[in-house]
Amino acid sequence: MEVSKNSFKTLSEPVKQFGGLISIIILIFLTFFILNNIFGEGDELVAKMKIEEERIAQERKLNKLISSLPSGVLVSFDGTDNFKLSDELYEAVCKATKLIPQRAIMGANFLNFRAHEIYTINGNKIDETFVKWDDEKNKCFAGFVVSGNNVGVDETVKVSGEALSFLSTGIDTRVYFIKNF
Amino acid sequence: MKKLIFFILFSSLITSIALARSTGCKEGNCENGYGKWIYTDKTTYEGEWVATKKHGQGTETWPNGYIYKGEFKESQWNGIGILFFPDGSTYEGEWANGFMNGKGTFTWSDGKQKTGIWKNGSFQE
Repeated sequence: MEVSKNSFKTLSEPVKQFGGLISIIILIFLTFFILNNIFGEGDELVAKMKIEEERIAQERKLNKLISSLPSGVLVSFDGTDNFKLSDELYEAVCKATKLIPQRAIMGANFLNFRAHEIYTINGNKIDETFVKWDDEKNKCFAGFVVSGNNVGVDETVKVSGEALSFLSTGIDTRVYFIKNF
Repeated sequence: MKKLIFFILFSSLITSIALARSTGCKEGNCENGYGKWIYTDKTTYEGEWVATKKHGQGTETWPNGYIYKGEFKESQWNGIGILFFPDGSTYEGEWANGFMNGKGTFTWSDGKQKTGIWKNGSFQE
């Protein structure tokens, strides 16, 4: 111990300073390594952040698109006076839409009496709604799930069909017509 | 701050009054007779009323494009009527309890047709 102390003292000042600098750098790296192991999630966190950033960017893009649409009914078919969506807009509006109002649900229920019964018995309660873009069919599908007790039997009915028209409110878009026939 | 709260309350009041005035019986007699009723979601019914219920001939138009023209009983689609779907498809025939019940013809927007007996909205093969 005494020998190493003496040999350190014999070292020149620049060598001592350089050794001190290297020690500090190692200490800093070690500290960050320990902290990263304790609190950091590494690559997984970076991947999550990238996905979230992409989602926010996509949402901003869709919101910008929605605010540029005319207010009112937007349709994907010919033969009406309503605003006709181009193929590109139809896909974008489908991806941006989350809401399905009551009249669209009631309209789809015309062709599904069981769904209508459960919907009515349970005070117009909907378990779940969905709006999905089908890449294979190049179509927008929307639907809803109703469940409840119908004459002593627990039932769940899923109603799904092509979303052919939407309502643009200027703030959001809503599915206006589900063609399930 | 007080001015802002007053402005918000006043605006809410005006909006409520405006909405209340745009719904309800807008034309004619919606108790016993012929009248036009506008609902809060902009659904309209124009036709015959008996004891404040839709009863007789009338037309119900939904904001999302469904239009029913025909007979009503106790506010439900009952009797002979035609329903226009938003995409141009139609069902013309008999109705009971608000559903296609009885003899009728369903015509798709591309012209394809199906005629026969319907029960609660389903075609009976």
